[in-house]
Amino acid sequence: MKGISILEGKYAVSMDLYPQQGREFNRIYPFYENLKQKRFTTTRCRSCGWRAFPPRVICPECLSEELEWVDLPVKGRVLVVTEEEVGVPLGFETPLIHALIDLDGQLTMFVRIINCASGELKEGDEVRLAVFPVEAVPVEGKKGTIIPQERVFFAFEKVK
Amino acid sequence: MRNVCVIAGGQSVWGLRRATQRDLFQEAGKACFEDNNIITNKDIDGLIVASAYTERCSFQTHLAPLVAEYLGIRPRSVCARVELLCASGSSGIIMAYGLIKSGVADVVMVIGGEKLYTPQRWEVNYSELGSVDHDWDGAMGLGLPPPLFAMVAKQHMKKYGTTEEQLAMVSVKNRRNGMNNPKGQFREPVDLQTALEAKTIVRPLKLYDCCPVTDGAAAIILAVEEKARYFTDKPLVYIRGCGQATMSNMTANMASWTTWEALKVAAGQAYQKAGVGPQDVDVAQTHDCFTISEIIEYEDLGFCEKGEGGWFIQEGKSDFGGQVPVNTDGGLLSCGHPFGATGIRQGIEIMRQLRGDAVRQVEGARIGLTHNLSGAIAAHTVVIYGRDLE
Repeated sequence: MKGISILEGKYAVSMDLYPQQGREFNRIYPFYENLKQKRFTTTRCRSCGWRAFPPRVICPECLSEELEWVDLPVKGRVLVVTEEEVGVPLGFETPLIHALIDLDGQLTMFVRIINCASGELKEGDEVRLAVFPVEAVPVEGKKGTIIPQERVFFAFEKVK
Repeated sequence: MRNVCVIAGGQSVWGLRRATQRDLFQEAGKACFEDNNIITNKDIDGLIVASAYTERCSFQTHLAPLVAEYLGIRPRSVCARVELLCASGSSGIIMAYGLIKSGVADVVMVIGGEKLYTPQRWEVNYSELGSVDHDWDGAMGLGLPPPLFAMVAKQHMKKYGTTEEQLAMVSVKNRRNGMNNPKGQFREPVDLQTALEAKTIVRPLKLYDCCPVTDGAAAIILAVEEKARYFTDKPLVYIRGCGQATMSNMTANMASWTTWEALKVAAGQAYQKAGVGPQDVDVAQTHDCFTISEIIEYEDLGFCEKGEGGWFIQEGKSDFGGQVPVNTDGGLLSCGHPFGATGIRQGIEIMRQLRGDAVRQVEGARIGLTHNLSGAIAAHTVVIYGRDLE
């Protein structure tokens, strides 16, 4: 069965699960370049010292544009776990495991846990950053050519 | 200073509807005018439309002129749409209130609604990825919010001893309140045992702990007091004060998961403007998207001490005859939750309670409150209504 024929093979940014990561589309592209190197980074303000997350192009506290990239811890500890059994969005498998994790006192994050069986993750467990490739963006080039732009995203996994 | 009154309100039937978004807006507009047969569509000078998923599910922007055309309204003071996801409706109400109070508009209809059921059900779940911070929380799979509120519930249970029975009591109460609501999505009662034994959605939340996905619309008319007196023969209901607050958006920036600071700020602002306190509220409609939400809202609205929300429901203090009946029309858990319409539905129920013609009436109610939550617990909107100005 066919879908909407005029949309066949078309990419819609408004239906994309993941953000645009290339420098043509996003000023915080270094986050994703660092992520490819398995570094978890964000921006800190050189003027007032505020460490923001997610990374920004201006400081939300003093509005300075003088920002620098800093590393965040790549290991954390689980505070709360949930497993979603119903209503998991397209693109994610059931059960979808989430955890609220403490990143060494620097950040409390709601994250997806991958490479983990149902019932396996417990409060107090140690988790670490896990980087994985996600679907490339088919970017239109000249004369109708399509250039795939590679992407990554991150979740966390249990340290076994 | 000009005073602002609520003079009419009505809604479409809510649920899984065989109707388009514009069908639903027409039904709600008609129901609103039928509530008060003195005012007509030609008396409305401003229109504010509240809808969050109009682009996602109906592929329609520039919605307000479309709705105006369908309802035979010719706006001349304001004609625009507002969006704050689940609190789009109460955002429309506070904006109409401000425009009327300041003299920009005199008589404004606020109408909100959503068509969420599309031919394939995955679409609305998927669209939810764009309702949280898409690039960060959405990409973690935080779509429909049960996982988020399950984490809230787990932490509240651990910190304050709140129980699964107490969560279930909220749905039992709200389903009971919604039984006679002719426009609600669910009109069947649920008993405690059924609620406790229902299918798990995200532990500890079970089926009846979660509000459903809903198609529907609702409309309300606000007017400056002088015109309100001309356009209605029912008791006047005033908007006494409001507050809307946000302190963070992405989950990583939420200071506390069990105390909703932005709710306290919004409520504090609304109480101060209205010149009342939580002890003065006779009836409230709060955002019971999940049972745990209503329990935390008792606390952070100041109806009880922090951590005692579970006991507040267990002791019947939020039921008819209790300290402050909450969600007297059934709330989101019974009525359903078409995002842009919910705040308007809450306002309509408070209007009826204060006029004295609600389906399930709180006797002698003179001060009512609505609370609307939106996003990943990111924003809170509180409106206080009164039969009296002071």
